Parts: sequence; C-alpha cells; structure tokens
Amino acid sequence: MTYWSGDEDELGKLVPLYVLVGGRTTPRNTTLDLATQIIAYPADTAALEPQYRQIVLSCGDWVSIAEVAAHLGRPLTVVKILVDVLLEQGLLAIGAPAQQTVVNRGLLETLLDGLQRL
Amino acid sequence: MKRTSVKIVVAGGFGTGKTTLVRSISEIDPLTTEEVLTEASVGVDDLAGLEDKHSTTVALDFGRITINHEVVLYLFGTPGQDRFWFMWDELAQGAVGAIVLIDTRRLDSSFAAIDYFERRKIPFLVAVNMFHGERVYTEEEIRGALHLSAEAPLLWTDARNRESVRETLVRLVRHALSRLPDTEPVG
Ligand SMILES: Nc1nc2c(ncn2[C@@H]2O[C@H](COP(=O)(O)OP(=O)(O)O)[C@@H](O)[C@H]2O)c(=O)[nH]1
Ligand SMILES: [Mg+2]
Repeated sequence: MTYWSGDEDELGKLVPLYVLVGGRTTPRNTTLDLATQIIAYPADTAALEPQYRQIVLSCGDWVSIAEVAAHLGRPLTVVKILVDVLLEQGLLAIGAPAQQTVVNRGLLETLLDGLQRL
Repeated sequence: MKRTSVKIVVAGGFGTGKTTLVRSISEIDPLTTEEVLTEASVGVDDLAGLEDKHSTTVALDFGRITINHEVVLYLFGTPGQDRFWFMWDELAQGAVGAIVLIDTRRLDSSFAAIDYFERRKIPFLVAVNMFHGERVYTEEEIRGALHLSAEAPLLWTDARNRESVRETLVRLVRHALSRLPDTEPVG
C-alpha cells in the first residue's frame, strides 16, 4: 500500500507538543502507534516513579497505547514516551507495530472471519 | 504470530454518526484519548509544564473488537477535520481501511474525508447513515454529488444498529481484500 506524502498547503498547522519526559521528547522506538499492543512483564513496581508505575499496572494484559492513555487521562505523546522508556528497561513487551502491520490476505481473511462470527 | 492490532478509521463530518457507530459494535464502552497539539514546536520541560503552554487538545474516540487471541481490531473515529491532519495520518497509517459516514442533509461535511482516503489510496467505502430510516436519494444521485469513483462501494447503514454496522465492516474488509494485488499467493 502506498501513502500520499502530502502537499504543503494541505498539511495541518498543528503538531504534537514536545514534552520532555525522562530526558526525551519523542520515543526512540518510532514504531509506537496508538494501536500498538503492550503488556507488562511480572515485576516489582514499588521502586518506579508514579507515572511509570501507573502504566505498568494498567497493562497486566495486552492493551493498546491508546487505551492506556485514555485510562490514565494523559496525552498520547506522553504515554508513548513513558512506554518507550519502560520498553528499554525491559518492563514491557510489545506486539507487532500497528503502523507497519502488513495488511496481507491472511490478516484480512482472519479479520473477515472474526467479523462474520460476531 | 505476534499480538497484532489492526485499525479501521471511521471518518465523516461532525454529527454524521461516527461515535454512534463505534458504540454500536465495540466490546468496550468507547474510550476517548487525547493528544496535545501546538501551532509550532513549542516544548515544555516536563509533564508538569503542560498546562502552561498555548496548546489545543484533540480528542478521539475509539472502540475495540477482539478477533482472536492474536488479533484485535480498533475502530477510531476521526477528530474534526481541517486542523487535525496530523492525527488523521497517525490513524490512517497502516489501517485496513476507512468508513466514511455521510448525512445526506450535509454531504459537504464529508468531502474532506473522501478526498483524504482517495489521495492516499487507502481502501474506503461510503456509508450513508439512515437518520430518517428511509432512502431519500438514490445511489446515483449521492455518487454524483460526492464525485465518488466507481471503485469505492456505497451503502446504507444504521449507525445505531449493531448488525448493520457489522455488515458495513464486513463490506469494508471485502473491499480491502479485492484491492490486494492478484500476484500475492493465496494462503
Ligand atoms: N436517528 C438517528 N440518529 C442518529 C444516527 N446516528 C447518529 N445519530 C444521532 O446523531 C447525533 C450525532 O451522532 P454522533 O455519533 O455523535 O456523531 P459524530 O459527531 O460523527 O461522532 C447523535 O445525537 C446521535 O444520537 C442514526 O443512524 N439515526
Ligand atoms: Mg463523535
């Protein structure tokens, strides 16, 4: 699938606010998408700062970054950065990056099957 | 297979029934997530500094449908048009496709959404939300008014009705399948 790269005059004027969290303003893992799945490894969270602990505690089972952001009431960009730090610390595992998921025949047929069985 | 999420975008003008559609079929109460946007690259030093800056918050609602142990589908309603293309790009990147909802009383409110997906070659269909429970215009009349290409399916839906929404999603996935290159091995 190809994506149109965008004309200058059509580009939105608004960009995400750059927020410095844990020493970074954007996630180093650039594949983090709002639908990307994350899950916490069992670990002792007592030593974590509250904003990190909240995240680890909210993904005891597979969940998307968007759901975590919605539950915690934090902006998506902030949650992506916090998740990124936790991934590097080995506290979270990540599913297939949603932005790079290859929408192939197998995946579409799985989806079709699932929707027909609903 | 790795735990995989797939996205379907629900677009269309304000009040066309996007949130209603997501609510009808989602297995969770639709959630709202926010992004903080700014006109330029204004930075803040830490989380606590967020409130002080000139910024706009854009909210988007979404729902979830678990397909199986490995695959989960998210339905994302687009935020308002025009100023929030950045968020549209994040939603559309890697998406299976899009449903563009229209209200026949205000067709023009969905033009921008149709244009967006056409230009990016993202599979989409147009779903006419049946606010009135009847079809006021014919398919030809609506296609003509929207300048819709023959390739994009057009159908009627009832955003409040789960079965109707499910059928709309099925049609979209079939459409996305039909757009795959023939050369790909079946399997
Ligand atoms: N009669 C009728 N009302 C609807 C339908 N879909 C949405 N509505 C109503 O139209 C209004 C706007 O719908 P909403 O889902 O919030 O639109 P959004 O702005 O696109 O998210 C709400 O008051 C809904 O209850 C429909 O299929 N039939
Ligand atoms: Mg809405």
